[in-house]
Amino acid sequence: METSADMKKSAGKKQVRLLGICCNWSPFACYNAAGMARLAMPPDFRLMRVMCIGRINQALILRAFEYGADGVILLECLDEDCRYGPGPGVGHENVRRVRKLLHLLGIDQERLVERSFGAHEKDVLVETLWRFADQIQALGPMTGGDALGVKRPAL
Amino acid sequence: MNEIDRIIKAQSLFQCLECGKCSAACPRRLTGKEYSPRLLAHKVIAEREDEAFIENAVWDCLSCGMCSERCPSGVKFSGFILDMRTLLAETKGLQGYRAHDGAIHSWMRMMTAPELEQNRLDWVSEDLGVAESGDVAFFVGCAPYFDVFFAGIEVDTLSIAKDSIRLLNFMDIKPVLLRDERCCGHDLLWTGDRENFERLCRLNYETFRAAGVREIVVSCPECYHVLSEHMPRVIPGFDIKITLLLDLLQREVHKGGKAFRSLKRRATYQDPCRLGRMAGRYAAPRELLGLIPELRLAEMENSGPSALCCGNCGFINCDAHSKQIQVQRLQEARATGAEMLITACPKCLIHLTCAIRDRLRQGSVKMEIRDILSVLADQIAWYGG
Repeated sequence: METSADMKKSAGKKQVRLLGICCNWSPFACYNAAGMARLAMPPDFRLMRVMCIGRINQALILRAFEYGADGVILLECLDEDCRYGPGPGVGHENVRRVRKLLHLLGIDQERLVERSFGAHEKDVLVETLWRFADQIQALGPMTGGDALGVKRPAL
Repeated sequence: MNEIDRIIKAQSLFQCLECGKCSAACPRRLTGKEYSPRLLAHKVIAEREDEAFIENAVWDCLSCGMCSERCPSGVKFSGFILDMRTLLAETKGLQGYRAHDGAIHSWMRMMTAPELEQNRLDWVSEDLGVAESGDVAFFVGCAPYFDVFFAGIEVDTLSIAKDSIRLLNFMDIKPVLLRDERCCGHDLLWTGDRENFERLCRLNYETFRAAGVREIVVSCPECYHVLSEHMPRVIPGFDIKITLLLDLLQREVHKGGKAFRSLKRRATYQDPCRLGRMAGRYAAPRELLGLIPELRLAEMENSGPSALCCGNCGFINCDAHSKQIQVQRLQEARATGAEMLITACPKCLIHLTCAIRDRLRQGSVKMEIRDILSVLADQIAWYGG
């Protein structure tokens, strides 16, 4: 859902690849509501919907970077809202460890972000995504374009 | 010539007598897995159309080398597996069933980026004697990464690197540590990703040259296996001396006033496959441990050339059979009456720790597990000190 307004907003900026890994429950309800309300989303942003952030492990976050993401955001439920129990907690632990791995690899830890949302916070979610996009824009694409992308697919 | 024909010839598969000693000794086979090195050799030679069987079996091997050890005919089975995996990865994109969802292979591939500027030496503390430049470098390996990734089972592989440097300091060597060192690529090599493996080799060689070092001291058996055997085949005119830390210790420990403090424990030793069957180092670890007064070393039922694998290699195909091998190994270790299991490879440490901590075992295979270099570093002292 890329509008011409979005295109203008991103004009003149380096193209970065943004990936959101989104829990099916509260955050996706927000995302869906934002779409229904036609709120503008960052243009380079892609969403991957999973049943629960607890399904995501260190490997899958790391693989996003291996395949060429310049920034990854985990969109989670609030700790007390998880439909399954431990989901957001697993997310926090994985983010903590993958950030350490990114640091070892010399990749800015700020490229990995996690945020929790209540089911009604569509405006907060959209604002968060724009702020995330700005943050990654400021960091720019990962070292030397496709340097890290062994399997960097075409946009 | 067909590539498979070439592999068969190069790895002496035609010498197979179909005696079946390989399958009778294969740890994976012995845990009941439907996998047989003998049958795989037969299929590749005579029934090559059974591609599904061959493709499965090639990835099932642990590459522990027990089959080659038992083979009376000199079939190079591990070499055959390595070549077949490389071929199947190249032609069919196969990569085996990757443990931990392939995270370890991911960071190895990310390290093929030439622009990478790692922060891999944050752990180096003041008490470790390291040099900015010199002839000898110490190869740290993936320890900083392992300790983050495997924080859940509380392994401490970084202490092996620290203890290695302490031991080197005792031998009057202040090694250079390489900020741009990459993974040796062992796991990419053994999962068939030749292209990225060779990239890592070239980047590591550039790093060695840029640092001006002539000798690399290695503590990890897998790194040693790659750096001493495979890297010279990738880099023409490879001119860096690769030294195994255990060899260096064995040579230097008797010189000038070094001694070991006593350790009143009963221990047993796990031969890592890359150190034992692949590099033939059975005596060095035992001799070094034998220097520690009061440390009683008991051998397991299967030890030395017959040592059982730690259940997994290259972080692929970890399954219930791997766990069974690990549990069997730990039971063997406990049956010796040892309180401590000493190993010499960080992977053995990780895999066996995983089995020790398995909740379903309810502590039945629990025992202290330590790396040989940590044991030696803790006990070494100056005479009269």
